[in-house]
Amino acid sequence: MTKSKLETAKDLAKAHFANEPRLQHVYILEPLNETDPREPIKLLEVVEGTIERGVEPIAFAADRGLGIDYPVWIVEVSPREYGDEQISRALRNHGWRIADELPAT
Amino acid sequence: MGTNQDWARAFARQALCDLDAREKLTRADAHKCHRLLFLQMAAEKVCKAYLTVANGHENVSNTHGYVAKHLPRIAVYFYGVTGNRMAEWERRAIESFAREIQVAAPACKDDNREDNCEYPWEDGQGTVRVPCEYNFPKIDDSAQNNAIVKLIRLIREASQSYAA
Repeated sequence: MTKSKLETAKDLAKAHFANEPRLQHVYILEPLNETDPREPIKLLEVVEGTIERGVEPIAFAADRGLGIDYPVWIVEVSPREYGDEQISRALRNHGWRIADELPAT
Repeated sequence: MGTNQDWARAFARQALCDLDAREKLTRADAHKCHRLLFLQMAAEKVCKAYLTVANGHENVSNTHGYVAKHLPRIAVYFYGVTGNRMAEWERRAIESFAREIQVAAPACKDDNREDNCEYPWEDGQGTVRVPCEYNFPKIDDSAQNNAIVKLIRLIREASQSYAA
């Protein structure tokens, strides 16, 4: 059975926390559009010490073989960038808004 | 006109070809600068594949300095979706490699470092250095370095994900 985007996002967040000890927060970026499988899951990840390059998402393709049924886009920012109005504006320019925080466990 | 997906696929395919070239050079006992050059080119192209879909080819084609940030992120993702756990030493090794391989690109000048795998440079003592005579002491790309072997495998798997 296909997992929902939200379930997939929660699993990804747990896996990322397990592999990146400097990861502080993972947020869903809405819209999630559960009914459109082509619309990517978008995650905002706040990582201590990451190189600051603004909103520069990287895109992972859907891969059913790996249990990922949707494309996944990840935006990684530093804690300083997370509080920066320029980052908020850049997210808005993409049409995204920061939504629920996803737990590490 | 090519779509962003077309460009991503093209970057991924070229990354795989660069890795193949590196393997041939390694078997032929080529200089380290040439092995690193193809590894650096493969790392750049796999990152560009992953950046192109979300940012657009026109915004990615001329960017530099992204390998140090995004190659470790790609590694974290693939470790996660394959159910693997990245050891701390491995994470550090990948980050160090990504940083060093970025510096090895002549177009990217970090920390005022001039060492790179393509063009001669003048070191801090006024000596002109030649890439093919330099041993790049901060990168161990030998087959005995488990972290590099795993990372090369990861670059290949990540490229294959977009190359089909």
